[in-house]
Amino acid sequence: MPTRYYYYDYDYNNRTRNCSTTTTRSSLEPPDVPRLAQTARISLTPHEVEEFAPKIRQVIDWFGQLQDVDLDSVDPALRADSETGYLREDIPKTFKNRESMIAAVPSYDEPYIKVPKVLNKE
Amino acid sequence: MLSTLHHPPRRLSRFFPANNKPRHFHTKPVLSSSQPVTDQSPSSTSPPESQILSIRHSLLSREVTATQLAETYLSRLKLAEPQLKSFIHVSNNVLKEAQSIDDKIKRNENVGPLAGVLVGVKDNICTVDMPSTAGSRVLENYRPPFDATAVKKVKEFDGIVVGKTNLDEFGMGSTTESSSFQVTANPWDISRVPGGSSGGSAAAVSARQCVVSLGSDTGGSVRQPASFCGVVGLKPTYGRVSRYGLIAYASSLDVIGCFGSSVADTGILLSAISGHDRLDATSSKQEVPDFTSQLISAALLESKPLKGLKVGVIRETLENGVDSGVKSTVLGAVSHLEELGCTLSEVSLPSFSLGLPAYYILASSESSSNLSRYDGVRYGNQAAAEDLNALYGDSRAKGFGSEVKMRILMGTYALSAGYYDAYYKRAQQVRTLIQKSFKTALDENDILISPAAPSAAYKIGEKKNDPLAMYSGDIMTVNVNLAGLPALVLPCGFVEGGPIGLPVGLQMIGAAFDEGKLLKVGHIFEQTLQGCRFVPPLIADGIPQ
Repeated sequence: MPTRYYYYDYDYNNRTRNCSTTTTRSSLEPPDVPRLAQTARISLTPHEVEEFAPKIRQVIDWFGQLQDVDLDSVDPALRADSETGYLREDIPKTFKNRESMIAAVPSYDEPYIKVPKVLNKE
Repeated sequence: MLSTLHHPPRRLSRFFPANNKPRHFHTKPVLSSSQPVTDQSPSSTSPPESQILSIRHSLLSREVTATQLAETYLSRLKLAEPQLKSFIHVSNNVLKEAQSIDDKIKRNENVGPLAGVLVGVKDNICTVDMPSTAGSRVLENYRPPFDATAVKKVKEFDGIVVGKTNLDEFGMGSTTESSSFQVTANPWDISRVPGGSSGGSAAAVSARQCVVSLGSDTGGSVRQPASFCGVVGLKPTYGRVSRYGLIAYASSLDVIGCFGSSVADTGILLSAISGHDRLDATSSKQEVPDFTSQLISAALLESKPLKGLKVGVIRETLENGVDSGVKSTVLGAVSHLEELGCTLSEVSLPSFSLGLPAYYILASSESSSNLSRYDGVRYGNQAAAEDLNALYGDSRAKGFGSEVKMRILMGTYALSAGYYDAYYKRAQQVRTLIQKSFKTALDENDILISPAAPSAAYKIGEKKNDPLAMYSGDIMTVNVNLAGLPALVLPCGFVEGGPIGLPVGLQMIGAAFDEGKLLKVGHIFEQTLQGCRFVPPLIADGIPQ
């Protein structure tokens, strides 16, 4: 799974990569749908890969128009609001409806949530 | 009072206390002949009344019981459902809850402001006593262990949740065609879409299957269906309403919104669900004003009630690509606002057109992260598999529909190492530009207006296979989500199409936390609009009132 980046002041400059922020669309690798599906843990059928690839490519190309905009010296906006610092007391509370949460588990073997074995080859 | 010219004016103040605890409100019964709540006399084009207040008055004056009202709405719901398919699930407890309200009234106990009001809830909002599927097979039959805060508040105020409404899967879509269960039809023309993703909630209110409903708006999912279905839709400021219990699509953009058949009802519902919630870290501590105290009866309005109000018409929303019928309807609304005393000017929002790709990058990226929790392990449908990766892969493959899969893949791409700067970060920078341009425009104007969508409702199936064509319909709405601002959509006219025409909605955008101003302006606009009756043919013909 790709790392999710939430902090806009993370230092990207020292990462090795093939492109810069001002690169045009063409030097970015087009979407490799089977690889993306593996990353996102969705088992696509070959028919789905064939059906989705052109549509995804079309939308990603359309996303590319942001490359042509001059965004130097514009701060990224993390979200809509600017209110911050609402912290609550670190006091644990017991959630009352545990039975309902457990009832929703597909494979439960008290007190474990069961999953099949993990194979370590990629 | 929020009434038409027929009722004696009453001032409605402190309907919802600022501290938002449920407070019980008494009305004096009106002694003159009152209209029954379901009166929709075909010849009348009088402006809409608040159904919530009518219901309250009828209950407290013992003219009608909550059980009788519930039965009327339920029979209308069941009669329209085979054609409309607005509901994924209808509650089994409606009459029982209505009965308990009747018992309270009989014992002269106080009842909450939403007493007897049937509320539809979009199926991506968690309800503990009913399945919550988000329109997806991956959550088919899932029963959450808690109520969303917005639902909890509706129940605290004695509202009755009538059922869970249909939506595009996980909120991704503009028509309900990507629901895994059913496609909802538009009550104005059942061969057309109701809009989306909150299509079920909009159609249900439009067809009077319930009084008001809750939806969610990430890129226009309350406002566009409100426009397509001829009802009022309100998107609050980001942080106004708690997102606890809203199944997340894009966390920096999602809000819960309201639908009603009048601005007043929409405002009353907003009052009920607004407020800070310790369970939502993004919920605002800004005080919630009494939204409905400023809504005055049309009878009391002076000749230019909106004198001094500065309204900016967004130039980019009336250019190419917008249906000529929609343009002329919105220009008609502009004239109406001028008659009411507003000062209108044209505003330009630079970077307006960049909002659409920026929105889709942010939304698909955030959704690819938010939907990674549906792994078939702790809840939801689980596929049989020999190893863990196959469990994840197959559960998700079987559970998600095509649109959701595609958006997850697009988001995965945009967030991949090496592409983050090119897409996600640039989209966030565009978001800054859009926030700044709105702020500048709203420093000089009280509200901004635009159409809610570039066209009226289109045919089912028309845009299903062309993602960009479908996305382009969101151009009027996404920028408001990027900026986190509130917006109200209310019906302002018709275009040709369907048996008797198709409704068109006007969008009014306000500054952050300025829902009160939007409701005040919207209410006056609605109450003074002549010659329009926004009741769809599905109701006016044949279905008993």
